[in-house]
Amino acid sequence: MAHGTDAKDGVNLVYHRFSAFHRFNHVLVMVSFFGLVLTGVPLKFKDSIWAQLLMDLMGGVAAAGFLHRVMAVVNILYFILEFSYMAWYVVARKGPIFHEDSIVPGKKDWADMKGMFRWFFGKGQKPKLSRFAYWEKFDFWALFAGTFLIGGSGLMMWFPEATTRILPGVSLNVALVIHSNEAFLATGVIFIFVHFFSAHGRPESFPADEVIFSGYLPVEHYISDRPQEYENRLKAGTLHEVIRPAPSARRRRLFRWVTATATVFAFLAASYTVLLVLWPVLF
Amino acid sequence: MLLVVLVGTPAAAEDGDAVDPAGFSGRCLTCHSMPYLGVVDTPLGPRDLHIDPEVYESSVHGLLPCNSCHAGFSHNPHQMVPNAEFFAETAGEACKNCHDDQFEMYKQSYHGELTREGVAEGVASPLCVDCHGTHGIAYVDTLEYRQTIADVCGACHGGREDTFLDTYHGKSLSLGREASATCVDCHGDHSILPVSNPLSTLSKANILPTCQECHPDAGEGFTTFLVHIEPTSTKAPLVVFLVAMAYLALIVAVFSFGGVHTLLYIYRGFKDKLYFNKGGGH
Repeated sequence: MAHGTDAKDGVNLVYHRFSAFHRFNHVLVMVSFFGLVLTGVPLKFKDSIWAQLLMDLMGGVAAAGFLHRVMAVVNILYFILEFSYMAWYVVARKGPIFHEDSIVPGKKDWADMKGMFRWFFGKGQKPKLSRFAYWEKFDFWALFAGTFLIGGSGLMMWFPEATTRILPGVSLNVALVIHSNEAFLATGVIFIFVHFFSAHGRPESFPADEVIFSGYLPVEHYISDRPQEYENRLKAGTLHEVIRPAPSARRRRLFRWVTATATVFAFLAASYTVLLVLWPVLF
Repeated sequence: MLLVVLVGTPAAAEDGDAVDPAGFSGRCLTCHSMPYLGVVDTPLGPRDLHIDPEVYESSVHGLLPCNSCHAGFSHNPHQMVPNAEFFAETAGEACKNCHDDQFEMYKQSYHGELTREGVAEGVASPLCVDCHGTHGIAYVDTLEYRQTIADVCGACHGGREDTFLDTYHGKSLSLGREASATCVDCHGDHSILPVSNPLSTLSKANILPTCQECHPDAGEGFTTFLVHIEPTSTKAPLVVFLVAMAYLALIVAVFSFGGVHTLLYIYRGFKDKLYFNKGGGH
């Protein structure tokens, strides 16, 4: 099958998509995002019966607030890590910046989006995706900007006395509007409308894309899902940079378990969000 | 509470305190504990004559005989309260007997002023019982009571409680954080005055010390945070309104586009049998 039977028929090769750094950062994002939603959203939906129940389970508002701040620190940490990485990437010219296979949006994304809609309606072939699809770029930059906005507004409300030594009091009103709306937007984007589906629920990855935990995917899968990057690398002669021997069977099993566990949490998180938002509408 | 009643009554009775020595309350409750007594029309509107003994006994006043508040009560016939003026005086006097300091502060307050003027003009004005309740009168520093304060104030100051409940103070108090400030912590309680009055706890001169009671490091800027605004209303400061509207537009746009994109992707996935197809997937 996909990545074959160990090394029986020669060396098995995989496509290496994410470095250990990026996978580690994704874990930080996951843990802090789940934690922040769990401890923060009950405040936004304070009239839901779930809100009181969850607050009590977490040991009260003060305990949830403490956990929220711990998770906020993790959030700031991954933001600093990612920002430093990007700065280093640009300064040290680690790779292309304005290129089909970089994370920066370009003309191809617009064309790909139109192409995808044509494909959805059966009026054309699925576009050839490069390293990052337009929805992945959206995910990344939305999270990047969102983390800045929600983190900044959160810090303002965490230290209201210090904030209002520099800014007028109405800045805290703005901070609350940003924090509350950005939380709602981010939770919807990650759990319902964009990320969970486009990264894990789309037919090519369903029910979960292991690549964000393991870092690799079978070469055949890579060629079929990212044909443009494959072609670009063939032309540029850089394919060897991303092709590696397959990890051991034990390691593969480990990643499968990690992915399965994360998937269970993801479904719980999505159902929790749907329930929390829909409950007051339905009942 | 029941324990306190059981233990407290004989000891207090021996001390000759104002605890129902003659079993006065018991005689009242013979009739008034009956639920079928029901609601009776009075000149002041409908009044429920039924008293739940459990509610009364677990109230702050649970040990006091009925006539310590219902002063001047004559047994036969029942003296009816004839008009607002009499009720205002009686209710105030009854509380004043024990809570003289608070009553004096109340008299100086805007509420007290309203009562004096209101009595003359027939305007509804808050008496002690309108905020504190009557037979179920609560311990004021409990979480349960603090959680009701916004609604108590909101009964007259309609809408103000909703904007308060949308702030962190309101949300966290609703979910059980007792230390969170509510109406009276900023506006004051018995001696409450309009913000425009220089003596108000929220007047220009007094607002900073009021904030500093909980936020010792607060500076002048801190005091300009606006509690009672509705961000999606045009009455909110422009910057708040614009940010709220921008987010509304962004949320609608992103969720609609993301939702449609996802549904179409799923549709194509099933149509082309791409789900559970190991050929392309993994």
